[in-house]
Amino acid sequence: MPASLTATRHPTSRRPIPLLPFAILAAIALPYAANAYALGFATTIVITAIGVVGFNVLTGWTGLVSLGYAGFFAVGAYTQGVLATRYGWPLLATLPAAAIVAALVSVLVGAPSLRLRGLYLAITTLAFSAIISHVILLAKPLTGGSRGFSVARPSVLGIPLRSDAAIFWLCAASLIFAVWLASNILRSYLGRAFFAVRDAETAARVLGVDVIRAKLLAFALSSAITGFAGALFALNQRYLNVENFELLLSIEAVSILIVGGVGSIPGVIAGTVFMVLLPECARLAFNAIGGSLADLAGAQEIRGVMYGLVIILFLRFAPGGLIDFWHSGRAWLRRWPCTG
Amino acid sequence: MQFLADLIVSGLAAGAVYGLFGMAYAAIYKATGVVNFAQGEVAMLIVYLTAAVFLRVPLPFWSALLIAPLIGIATGLVLDRLVIRPMVGRPAFAIVMVTIGLAVMLRALIVLVWGSELREFPARAGEAVLTFSGVGLYPVQILAFVVLAIAIAAAWALLRFSRMGLAMRATAIDERTATLMGIDVRRVAAIAWAASAGVSALAGVLFASTTFVGPDLFQAGLKAFPATIVGGLDSVIGSAIGGLILGVVENLTGGYGDTALKEISGFIAIVAVLMIRPTGLFGARDVERL
Repeated sequence: MPASLTATRHPTSRRPIPLLPFAILAAIALPYAANAYALGFATTIVITAIGVVGFNVLTGWTGLVSLGYAGFFAVGAYTQGVLATRYGWPLLATLPAAAIVAALVSVLVGAPSLRLRGLYLAITTLAFSAIISHVILLAKPLTGGSRGFSVARPSVLGIPLRSDAAIFWLCAASLIFAVWLASNILRSYLGRAFFAVRDAETAARVLGVDVIRAKLLAFALSSAITGFAGALFALNQRYLNVENFELLLSIEAVSILIVGGVGSIPGVIAGTVFMVLLPECARLAFNAIGGSLADLAGAQEIRGVMYGLVIILFLRFAPGGLIDFWHSGRAWLRRWPCTG
Repeated sequence: MQFLADLIVSGLAAGAVYGLFGMAYAAIYKATGVVNFAQGEVAMLIVYLTAAVFLRVPLPFWSALLIAPLIGIATGLVLDRLVIRPMVGRPAFAIVMVTIGLAVMLRALIVLVWGSELREFPARAGEAVLTFSGVGLYPVQILAFVVLAIAIAAAWALLRFSRMGLAMRATAIDERTATLMGIDVRRVAAIAWAASAGVSALAGVLFASTTFVGPDLFQAGLKAFPATIVGGLDSVIGSAIGGLILGVVENLTGGYGDTALKEISGFIAIVAVLMIRPTGLFGARDVERL
């Protein structure tokens, strides 16, 4: 059973990213151009995109479904929060620490569950998320229990990270780094092993791929990037509470992957923009229509309905995701006017 | 000793509800190879619909055990037709994702329609405690045992003797060959969804009548999930027994350990079972060919 949704093929050759210089320029310019509200959204999009780039390594490339995204995001966020606030670690130590702790935890969860095929990882990671919330609630001296605690914003190389613009730049640089890291790994032996495991596990084993090792590495790498995103979330949010890390967050990651196109990094970015802005656009639209819909506009439930609806509709009608529209649109343009 | 007996018996009663949920999971998995992550939400929807009926028509509690499964079967058929059938032939991964989408959507829709406050289930089963050699039980707890026993017997008989049961078992073994033998696989899936929703309706009503009707009722389905892993995802009757085991394990950790541990003991049990016997206690080992 090929676990993949779409036939995203492994990129065999190195292709330059033509948009990269523009992306860097836009990231530098954005805090000067945007107001605080828009900047907040941009930061959320960038942090979410980093997390889902990590999630994509596991679910998109290796074909393993995880419902533990929120758990690893929480591990990263709390590692950052606790080390920076309670122990006063500098940022250059806490960010890698968050990634490493998340990776170590993932090996702990993955070791028993990755020996199994199919959906067992979804089940154990679901269990893991429940267990992590309980651990956070129980570790009151460190995490403040159910009340949560406020997180310090440390300084980098002596430059304090007080402004939201500084946080945005840090996140944007991290996103570029995460994309660079992930796409380089994809082109390595390991990346090919991930795809082989996803598309034909038994065949991969026969050809000499150490399947369990590849799965564990995919899980650890994925969780490290997700944990890193969690640490950035803690920096940006300044206040941590278990309620930030409920199952809905894992569902959001799943929906972003499906909307963007499973297995594609540009798809992850497009999907993140879509899914973060969708509830906001719906809120504005409901307010504009007014009446009883305006009362619904602020409701948290609208998000749930939308995530669910988007997942179901995209899987039904556009299983290739947004990135597929992009590809077919480009192909159409290339053939134009001889399209028929 | 009395404490231990109390814990075990009330654990079995809670486990009977988990067992019903476990059967619901296993029915869909067995017929379609899909874990239905929306099981708890489907049960919650059925409980709300049943409660809506009982608010308008005052009926005795036992009739809920007949009405809820009927509403459940209808709900299951509708959900299958709207959400699952269009996905036939797609990878299991995609269908599982659809059930996850269905889960969050139902959860949110129920709050939007009925609000988020907790209510009592309109009909009560009675509060008189019945005592059997020193161990006290509520009528609902005894009902749960009876319902589970009937469900197990019915599932066994249907799978073993009926034509439909044979078709289901054939589909579970090899969907493509079953199709070639003239089995309508889509109908098998529809019946599995209907049966699963019917059984989870029983579980939902029994659970809601001991707690509340509220928007976090779906948690019951999630908590019962370890039952089907312990028993074996592809074994309907094994999952029922897994539920009983889970109920006792939970109650013993709650009684001798602490309550926080009780909440997650089921999930710890999942990890333990997967390490020792990945297919569950009663599951079949599957072999994949290249």
